[in-house]
Amino acid sequence: MKNHRHKWILWGAGAIFAAVFPHVFGIYYANFFVAFAIFSLYAVTLNLLLGYMGVLSFGHAMFFGTGAYATAIALTHIPGFPLLPAILVGGLSGGLLALILSPLLVRVSGTAFAMLTLAFGQLIFVIALKYREVTGGEDGIGGYSIPPLNIPGVVSIDMTDKINFYYFAIAVIAVCLFILWFYTKTPFGNLVVGIRDNAMRIDYLGFKLPQIKAVNLIVCGAFAGIAGSVHALLMKLVSTVGVLDISASFTPILMAYIGGVGSFFGPIIGSGVLHLLEDLVIRFTDRIGLVNGAIFILVVLYAPMGLVGLFGEAKAKWFHKGKVS
Amino acid sequence: MNILETKELHHDFSGLQVIFGIDLQVKEGERHAIIGPNGAGKTTLFNLITGTYRPSRGQIFFKGQDVTGARPHELTRMGMGRSFQITSTFNRLTTFQNIRLAILSKKGIRFQLFRKVDKMQDITKETDEVLKRINLDRERDMPAGVLSYGKHRSLEISLALATDPDLIMLDEPTAGMSRDETHHAVDLIRRLTKGKTLVIIEHDMDVVFSLADRITVLHYGQILATGPPAEIRQNQAVKDAYLGELGS
Amino acid sequence: MSPTTVLYVAQAVHGLAYGMLLFLVASGLTMIFGMMGILNIAHASFAMLSAYFCYQVLLMTENFWVALLIAPVVAGICGILTERFLLRTVHKQGHLAELLITVGIMMVILEAVKVGWGAESLVVKIPPSLSGLVNFAGLTYPIYRLFVIGLSVVILGIMALILFKTRLGKIVRAAVSDADMVSALGINTPLVFMLVFGIGIWLAGVAGAVAAPLLTVFPGMADQLGMDAFVVVVVGGFGSLGGAFIVALFLGELNAYGIQFIPRLAPVLMFAFMAIVLAFKPMGLFGERE
Repeated sequence: MKNHRHKWILWGAGAIFAAVFPHVFGIYYANFFVAFAIFSLYAVTLNLLLGYMGVLSFGHAMFFGTGAYATAIALTHIPGFPLLPAILVGGLSGGLLALILSPLLVRVSGTAFAMLTLAFGQLIFVIALKYREVTGGEDGIGGYSIPPLNIPGVVSIDMTDKINFYYFAIAVIAVCLFILWFYTKTPFGNLVVGIRDNAMRIDYLGFKLPQIKAVNLIVCGAFAGIAGSVHALLMKLVSTVGVLDISASFTPILMAYIGGVGSFFGPIIGSGVLHLLEDLVIRFTDRIGLVNGAIFILVVLYAPMGLVGLFGEAKAKWFHKGKVS
Repeated sequence: MNILETKELHHDFSGLQVIFGIDLQVKEGERHAIIGPNGAGKTTLFNLITGTYRPSRGQIFFKGQDVTGARPHELTRMGMGRSFQITSTFNRLTTFQNIRLAILSKKGIRFQLFRKVDKMQDITKETDEVLKRINLDRERDMPAGVLSYGKHRSLEISLALATDPDLIMLDEPTAGMSRDETHHAVDLIRRLTKGKTLVIIEHDMDVVFSLADRITVLHYGQILATGPPAEIRQNQAVKDAYLGELGS
Repeated sequence: MSPTTVLYVAQAVHGLAYGMLLFLVASGLTMIFGMMGILNIAHASFAMLSAYFCYQVLLMTENFWVALLIAPVVAGICGILTERFLLRTVHKQGHLAELLITVGIMMVILEAVKVGWGAESLVVKIPPSLSGLVNFAGLTYPIYRLFVIGLSVVILGIMALILFKTRLGKIVRAAVSDADMVSALGINTPLVFMLVFGIGIWLAGVAGAVAAPLLTVFPGMADQLGMDAFVVVVVGGFGSLGGAFIVALFLGELNAYGIQFIPRLAPVLMFAFMAIVLAFKPMGLFGERE
């Protein structure tokens, strides 16, 4: 039970840290923290496919981007569109895209799955570029403002205040992460991991493989869409750059791997590390991509279970040493 | 009643014919062994019956229903269980988690998204009971991938049995086992298939003769002979096919 | 001849040239996949790298032919080093790790060229001997495109000769089909792997260097080529050179005509086609590998 208390203390400390963060570190870093949180959620959804189901989604940006664009379009074209539905729209769009693609996606795994998602990701990217009337083409969609958080009859919180937005965004993402964490602990979550280890046996145990894969895909697509939505609100501008392009698909892969694909929290750690790294490196050079790429290669070569894996190994060695002496 | 029956079962792989018209009958409650030289088509026959392949011709009846072309998960839900010649478990999951998946399936818990699986006490209890019965309770929290060969094979067989099927199909369950391990495995199989129907592919003749009520001999994709062990032992054609492999 | 026919023929030549370039890139990619099971995400990046090398050598020697000769070789050497030190190390971790490492390599190459040459477009001029137009059967063709087609045909002809008429070629073809079997026959498979990887990259390098005057040299120049090469390999069949050839030419023409006549629909159709093939025939139309 000591373990439980440790966990609660850790989470409590984390919550307090997040609560005072903007007051201690300022607005710039508050936005930075929100970006970290957005990509944490995004990377976690990628890992629910990679670490948990064993498939590499190479075009994951299509869900992120669809959510971002959906929110931007809703806020631009429908005056007075409320805040929470704007985010919901993003989530639904991501989930809907996954639903539409699932009949094809559940038929393949491994390299074929990676290629298929790459193809679809590129397809959506090209569509966003070419259909300017809807997506604004290369310029994207901008100029919308964040609607206030309205609980009718109770309160209306102005979201153009960056501190308010910070709390709102962090709360939304924390809730999403909790839901996804719980999801991995359910019997269904166990099935998904089973698919990673031995898809054929899952079939033979009496489970309908395509349906399970589809549900997991839709969950991942929906929550990636929500991450995209919050991103759209944070940036107040949505274009293909960093949202639908190939680097937007690779970033979560990087984060998940560096943090550790074998754990739920790995991608979150990866997101933190990568954001901090970028903040640091950008003072010296523009070439953050080179640093990221090099680190990624090193991780794949020498630490495939990421930071969480390394930490686990270190802990095991430490405990072993303790016992022996 | 025949719990399992095939009629004129044929199968080919892109034109290469491997099963040439098999009429197999398995009586409910019996222990039926399928033997034959390598390449005779035993595993292919299994794959046809359990839904891995769709037969190119012929029909399969399970519990009186036409299940030709049914998928593995459908057959499992109807009460069939199958183990594999090459151990096929969830290697990164613990022994406990492996069996638990089977128990979840047995109880029809498939799309449960609202409870933590570790907190489902009845599931945990039942899984632990199964582990005890198959002698893997001490290895409960070890990843399946690190189990010793014999125990791993035990888990393999148990995964097929844990969904509580009425027809159990085991493909060379004792492959690669030592004398002792084989002994334990046969004991386990006999215990856990009491009152059920067992169809077993085996090369180890001691196992066959100690378990089987009836034996079907397969050769070049066709049934050479079917009958009780004593009859098969005397069958000249079978002896010729095996060239003295049968023990006396 | 009517202007429409001129247009059609011009597009056909463009399409053929692009198709040949595509095949140069895709042939290496499909052989590497067939033999080593690795889908080299960084394949087109090496083509781009070769284009940058071409620019650099041209800068230093003012001789296009020398640049064309050296650049792909240097790229090929980079490829061999990559195989030897990165891919081989990660081989034991399985296909996913191999795929991911090629992603990392792609990223590093992309950033490295920015470090080396900046992010703006660099111009590689068509040498005077190859510039201009030529008249034939009442139509005019750009000489350089004909050169591209011609050079590709020559190189591919030599490759085909080696593959089908020499012992080495036989070994390579066998290894593409079943590497384990070849290894069991006592042949030094790691060496064959390295060789095929190097040559595959070299072919991509030739494509990159040759395409440099046409596409201009910039960090994104190989994106379209790379993506199209994947489509070729996926649709044509992993490990199938014949399939890659047919699909590459088809795609080249589709691209040329598509961009001219249905610019918004063309890429959609292409990806849709690839997605459908992948979903229903994961080994490609002509492929065989597991």
